[in-house]
Amino acid sequence: MSSMVKGSRRSEMVKHSLIWAVLLFELLPLYMMAQISFKDNSTFLKQPWFPTEIASWQWENYAFAFKLIVPYIANTVFVAVTGTLLSLTLSICGAYFFARYKVPGSTFLWAAFLFLMLMPGVANLVPLFNLLKNLNLLNTLWALIILGVAGGQVFNIYVLRNFIEDIPKDLFEAAEIDGASHLSQIWNVVVPMSGPIIGTLAILSFLGKWNDFLMPLLVLRDKELFTLGVGLIYLDGEYVKHWGRIMAAFVVSSLPILVIFLFTMRLFVRGLSSGAVKG
Amino acid sequence: MVQYHPTPRTRKTLAFSQPMPVPLSSQKALREWRIYLFVIPSLFLVAIFSYFPAISAVYHSFFDWEGGDFKRFIGFDNFTRAFADRELWNSFFTIGVLVVANIFKLIPSIFTAVLIHRLISDKWQYWYRVLVVIPMIVPGLVTLFIWKFFFDPNMGILNNVIEGLGLKGLLVAMNDAMGWNVFREGLPIGWLSQPDLIIPSLVIWGFPWIGAVGVLIYLAGLQSIGEEVYESAEIDGANWWQKFVYIEFPLILTQIRLTLVLLIIGTLQGFGLQYLLLGMDGGAGGRGMVPGLWMFNRAFGAGQFGYACAIGMILFVFILGLTYINNKYVRVEK
Repeated sequence: MSSMVKGSRRSEMVKHSLIWAVLLFELLPLYMMAQISFKDNSTFLKQPWFPTEIASWQWENYAFAFKLIVPYIANTVFVAVTGTLLSLTLSICGAYFFARYKVPGSTFLWAAFLFLMLMPGVANLVPLFNLLKNLNLLNTLWALIILGVAGGQVFNIYVLRNFIEDIPKDLFEAAEIDGASHLSQIWNVVVPMSGPIIGTLAILSFLGKWNDFLMPLLVLRDKELFTLGVGLIYLDGEYVKHWGRIMAAFVVSSLPILVIFLFTMRLFVRGLSSGAVKG
Repeated sequence: MVQYHPTPRTRKTLAFSQPMPVPLSSQKALREWRIYLFVIPSLFLVAIFSYFPAISAVYHSFFDWEGGDFKRFIGFDNFTRAFADRELWNSFFTIGVLVVANIFKLIPSIFTAVLIHRLISDKWQYWYRVLVVIPMIVPGLVTLFIWKFFFDPNMGILNNVIEGLGLKGLLVAMNDAMGWNVFREGLPIGWLSQPDLIIPSLVIWGFPWIGAVGVLIYLAGLQSIGEEVYESAEIDGANWWQKFVYIEFPLILTQIRLTLVLLIIGTLQGFGLQYLLLGMDGGAGGRGMVPGLWMFNRAFGAGQFGYACAIGMILFVFILGLTYINNKYVRVEK
């Protein structure tokens, strides 16, 4: 776009200021969260809008937040990382099955997978809870991992199949002539050739698990097992609210995603758009 | 990368060599039986954790079941009960209002995407994209709770702003003129506690309603517009609105339809927002009750698992119907 003349300098300024106006409102919650996290309730009442001077910052809020949130984060990281790894491993294998050969039964199985995309998950909630109860998985982190892996299969396989089918067939055949098994074809051809999409799906899957709260709320009972979602809900439910502490906890719970974001900004930005388009 | 369209060249090469998946005869497939092993784990998980619960939900919707071992077959009683359930129909009305509101909430994302797209500087286009995505680093739950805090009657920001800008007097005057009975002089506005303010609060929620994913999808669609299209529009003397109506809007229609469909289905299914803001009973007077939350409430609040399954079925048929209509009349190119 840069080469063409799309308007005068003034019209560029108008566009910039409109975008900034929207962004300011959009980022306001983040700003409020950050600045309130350094205040106690009385400072906040006196000065709700602007940060106070650094000398009066309530670092104690962060001590509280870290102590409270870090165990939740550890649980969530365990669930999200294990879930994402397992989910992608299985869905790469599944997508390989659909993309590599057209064997008897694969059309039927594909239809069976696609039908799941139409089914609203909300209707399954009650029987799913009961199933977990019968499998003795209630109050375990593995329940969340398994549900995450199972729930992610359809979407991941759907996206990955398209990408694997676009890999030149010659690469697979060359590997086959060298005596490569299916497993080594996946490892040596599929994985290197579809790195970016795997990264994108991994981020989407991780984010999904990080933001999940409904299933954890239903499944987990023990405080030691709480994931971030449940932990934050309980924090919000406390009767006397120290907003500074609560906001500090919110900041701490955003830090891991912030770190991922800093390292994978491009993948992140692309992932969010491609993921939804493909869906 | 965002949407894969084979270029004419790859399409041609694909036509020469046979594209994947390679068809195998059943005899050959027998020799390659190991390939089936690759789909079995996914299949197994999906069968147990997606298909089984779905079938179980259909089955149990015909039972009087409290979640335990005891259950009693009652035929269509759960469904006749549901059709007479005022709370359920009210919840469908509420969700209808929220769906319509959410459709309007797509507009800011579309305009933001168009504004970013029209910038000359590629560098700024990239940085605005990053800035739009930044709110995503905060867990969704945190955004939700920050908004809940904004709505807080005493310490919340919304009432603070309204008082600060002197709008409270106006609201009270309008209240007295229209007989709303929700805004009162000298009392903080109870956004989430006044029955009549619950739906408006849910609509205001998330202002300015920029969806990072939406903006990025629209930008991806806008990128397919060639420069020559703008140049010829420029020559014809098209103004910014005409460019939007005749060039940009038609080209991102696919993306808008896609987000629309995802949004409608997501809104119909969703109840996390209502649950966390208002509680299991849908807030004061149950005004924030939506079908998903009513199902959740019947199951985990009242222990009527069979009836909850029936509500789930009704919701399922509703969503399936919409998906069908969408597939039939709204073509989304892949």
